[in-house]
Amino acid sequence: MKKRILSLVLASAMVLSLAACGSKDTGSANEEPAPAETEAEAEAEAPAEQESEPAEAEAPAGPVELNVTTTFAGEDGNAQNFKNAVDAWCAETGNSVADTSATSDETFKTRVITDFETGSEPDVLFFFNGADANSFIEAGKVVSIDDIRAEYPDYAGNMNDDLITDSLVDGKKYAVPVNGFWEAMFVNTEVLDAAGVSVPGAGYTWDQFLEDCQKIKDAGYAPIACALGNIPHYWWEFAIFNHTSPATHLNVPTSVDSEQGQAWVAGMEDIKALYEAGYFPENTLSATDDETFAMFTEGKAAFLIDGSWKVGGIVNACQSDPEDPSTLDADKLAKFDVTYVPGMNDRKATDLIGGLSMGYYITTKAWEDPEKRDAAVSFVSYMTSDELVPVFAQHTASALKNAPAVDESAFNPLQVKAMAMMSGVTSLTGAVQDIFQGDCRVSTFDGMPEIVTGRVDAIDAVAEGIDAYNAQ
Amino acid sequence: MGASIYKNKKPLIVFLLPAFLFMIVYLYYPFFQNIINSFQQIKRLGQSGTGWNDPWYMNYVEMVKDPVVWTSMKNTLIMMLVTIIGQVGIALILALLVDNIRIGAKFFRTVYFFPIVISATALGLLFNLIFLYDKGMLNQILESLGKTSLTDWKSEGLALFTMMLPVMWQYVGFYFVIMITGLNNISEELYESASIDGATRFQRVRYISLPLLHNVLCTCVVLAVTGALKVFDLPWTMFPKGMPMKSTFLTGTYMYYQTMEAKNVDYGSTLAILLVILGVLTSKIVNAIFKEKDY
Amino acid sequence: MKKEKFRVSSVFIYIVLIFWSLTTIYPIIWVIQNSFKAKDKILANSFSLPLGDLFTTANYRKAFNNLNILSAYKNSLFISSIVAIVVVVLAGMASFALVRYTFKLKGALLSLVMAGMMFPVFATVIPVYSMEVKWGIASTNNWGLTMLSVILPQVAGNLSFAIVVLTGFIKGLPVELEEAAFMEGCNAYQIFYKVVMPLTKPSFATVAIFSFLWSYNDLFTQMFYLRTPKMFGITVLLNRLTSQEGTNYGLMAAAVTLVVVPVVIVYIFLQKYIIKGMTAGAIKG
Repeated sequence: MKKRILSLVLASAMVLSLAACGSKDTGSANEEPAPAETEAEAEAEAPAEQESEPAEAEAPAGPVELNVTTTFAGEDGNAQNFKNAVDAWCAETGNSVADTSATSDETFKTRVITDFETGSEPDVLFFFNGADANSFIEAGKVVSIDDIRAEYPDYAGNMNDDLITDSLVDGKKYAVPVNGFWEAMFVNTEVLDAAGVSVPGAGYTWDQFLEDCQKIKDAGYAPIACALGNIPHYWWEFAIFNHTSPATHLNVPTSVDSEQGQAWVAGMEDIKALYEAGYFPENTLSATDDETFAMFTEGKAAFLIDGSWKVGGIVNACQSDPEDPSTLDADKLAKFDVTYVPGMNDRKATDLIGGLSMGYYITTKAWEDPEKRDAAVSFVSYMTSDELVPVFAQHTASALKNAPAVDESAFNPLQVKAMAMMSGVTSLTGAVQDIFQGDCRVSTFDGMPEIVTGRVDAIDAVAEGIDAYNAQ
Repeated sequence: MGASIYKNKKPLIVFLLPAFLFMIVYLYYPFFQNIINSFQQIKRLGQSGTGWNDPWYMNYVEMVKDPVVWTSMKNTLIMMLVTIIGQVGIALILALLVDNIRIGAKFFRTVYFFPIVISATALGLLFNLIFLYDKGMLNQILESLGKTSLTDWKSEGLALFTMMLPVMWQYVGFYFVIMITGLNNISEELYESASIDGATRFQRVRYISLPLLHNVLCTCVVLAVTGALKVFDLPWTMFPKGMPMKSTFLTGTYMYYQTMEAKNVDYGSTLAILLVILGVLTSKIVNAIFKEKDY
Repeated sequence: MKKEKFRVSSVFIYIVLIFWSLTTIYPIIWVIQNSFKAKDKILANSFSLPLGDLFTTANYRKAFNNLNILSAYKNSLFISSIVAIVVVVLAGMASFALVRYTFKLKGALLSLVMAGMMFPVFATVIPVYSMEVKWGIASTNNWGLTMLSVILPQVAGNLSFAIVVLTGFIKGLPVELEEAAFMEGCNAYQIFYKVVMPLTKPSFATVAIFSFLWSYNDLFTQMFYLRTPKMFGITVLLNRLTSQEGTNYGLMAAAVTLVVVPVVIVYIFLQKYIIKGMTAGAIKG
């Protein structure tokens, strides 16, 4: 069964919110193309795109070796897809690729930044498009999509430009996105059944959520699987989101007294209230994320807010052999569902966090190298083609104009549930923590245990973080 | 004494230059950059500074005021005592015992080395599972002994204990290997002649092994004390970010945290300088203590 | 009478030694047994044997299928052996000079050595990397240069520790032997080469083992310098298997097993130098 509509809905949902991502001060000033328009556009562009794709046979002068760095490595779900795609591209063009991809962690980010500083950056880079990219964009070490289009008009022509994130530095677009992410609430229905709670739906409110938590706690389970002392990130994001709105969520407050600052404080207070009510696991301050995730998969906790990548994690937890899908315990997997995050104020439960946080950059070094320019453009075009993007994106979002055909039969039940959940999403907003990066996070992320235990007032912690942000 | 041999200082340069050249280029020069970094504003590791701090010594003032620095120094001091008594002490006893047996000596020498070989991530996981709150090995044992409530081994009261025990255990093997090497440098004939003179086993240890091990022991204590200052991987795996409530930070983990996690690179550089100063000072103190006390 | 007493104390000694060996052997067994379990089973069943449903070879299959383990072993052994040898030679020379000679800067140099031991890698790796890029050693696609680019900083990083340990050992050497050699007409280099080196062979072996071990396990430096699959060392290669969706414990256990094996072999091999008797009466106390 092919599902085109879903992707269209997705794409249009994202247009509503993502266009606002880049502008951190103005935020809401954006025009949303109507979904119908997007669709029409997509139809119109589609044939043209298909032709421009093989047109990369612009015959490069000779075999070129491209240095490519991505995060498609190690356990990344797309590592194999990437490898196959690289091999195919090399076979097609006769070029070769020196693949220096690595798992995305702090060491990797440091390495990439250092490479740019020392002039040993790769030719093509798949990297974050938020604050992480600021330093090399400021230094002019990567080429914007518009500049590339001046020479190669079809570059990223299959993408909906409104969905490509603007740089925080100059508002230009640099990175061609592939696969996106979303953050939502996973539920263990076995626990919910035992506590007599029904699976939350689209209209889920905060008050209903509190009520459900109490029931679950009374039934002897931990309502929320979260290690506040280790990974409070997801709750931090949504708690704040509940006091802002899709239009304003990405504005970092200028001061703690501002409306936005007060919203952040209120979010922290909400987490504190949950903690005081005992809705987190008893050892939430000293447990690791792995421990609380295990509580969730083993039926000891009911709710888990996490990202789209956790779909794979849960499926793996239901397989006795992680490498062998045939060992899947279907009954166990059936107990898991994914739904919306309880909302309040201007945020509906179906307003989720998500977007396209990474993309392909072409570095200035490769662009100015006449031998490599063609190859780099051809490589990125190949990797972001209509055929390949759906392979990488799966149940997450993509920025394609031409809605990818999704073959649902290839998906497992949780992925299907995820797609159904995504089809009801009313907006996807980027994560404000991707902008609020560096030491400003310390007081409210690592300081979360101090906030919830009352050793530090939420308002002071937020103020400290904002001060650190303003000092940057 | 040997002074006459070593009066000619010419070979000195040949002996010292290669090693110190290496260290100057690859350690001291980069560390000099680190000192400069501590006066600058740096957004993240890998980026160069965007300007000088205002005032330039800002990070040093912050360091003195930072309560976590003091917590970490206090924890490190405890850790030093634990390593001297626990690591060096246990290693010394084990080394002396292994030195006094014939059968199985090779076996013990091999297996005592194991903990140093296994990566900290794996050991961290092992100990996390032993101390796990729910279904952990210790809590299961306590449960079977009739204890009804679960003990949170990582709560504030117990965290330091839970952290230091594995660290202590892991490096016993390291000092053991160094000391067993020192013991093997001692000639068998010395022991034999002592035996002929009617010395008991204990006397041989007291009057031959220990005095001849003196320098090696001193080295071990220096390594243990400085090791406590920079120990990082196992505590970090078990208690990331000084969990709970930043109460388990050591100087080494706090430096890592500020540099890699909090992205406060210039402040991390300042802490690195503190680390180096403390390391040189404590090693001087240890050397001074050991010099006076001769067997 | 004397024999009887001997036996009682020996029993006690063996009880203590065996007790400690249990604490050191068990973790290895634990790691190996969990390398045969699927990742989601480990948190709940880490202390049971991998039997029946628990047993799987998936972790090893994955490690061997996706990765070129042999080439990674080769790179790692190459890097770490060279590091160990260079460290032992350079540190041995420096320690000898620092112990036996008296000169003005000695105190300062000893402090510098101590300081060098305290420098955290994350404080030095970036300046060193940019320096090596400037020299054209780092960040190339040339195998030899890449190996060199990681060997050099690792040598420097291990020198301080090696000097501290070796000075401790050399201090314990009786100077009389060196005097005797001097009388026979040896110069300082010959004394070092013919007297000190052979006498402290066990110490050199010990330092070599630790330098090897730390170079081998130094993930941070290796991640920075070794980037393409043909350059990877075994630690880097296996680290790439750690996951984004929570850590894959089973795979990690398999990786640890694969990483540990060569080190234990190297240790057992070098151990013969630290065993009593092998130094054949050269040492007169």
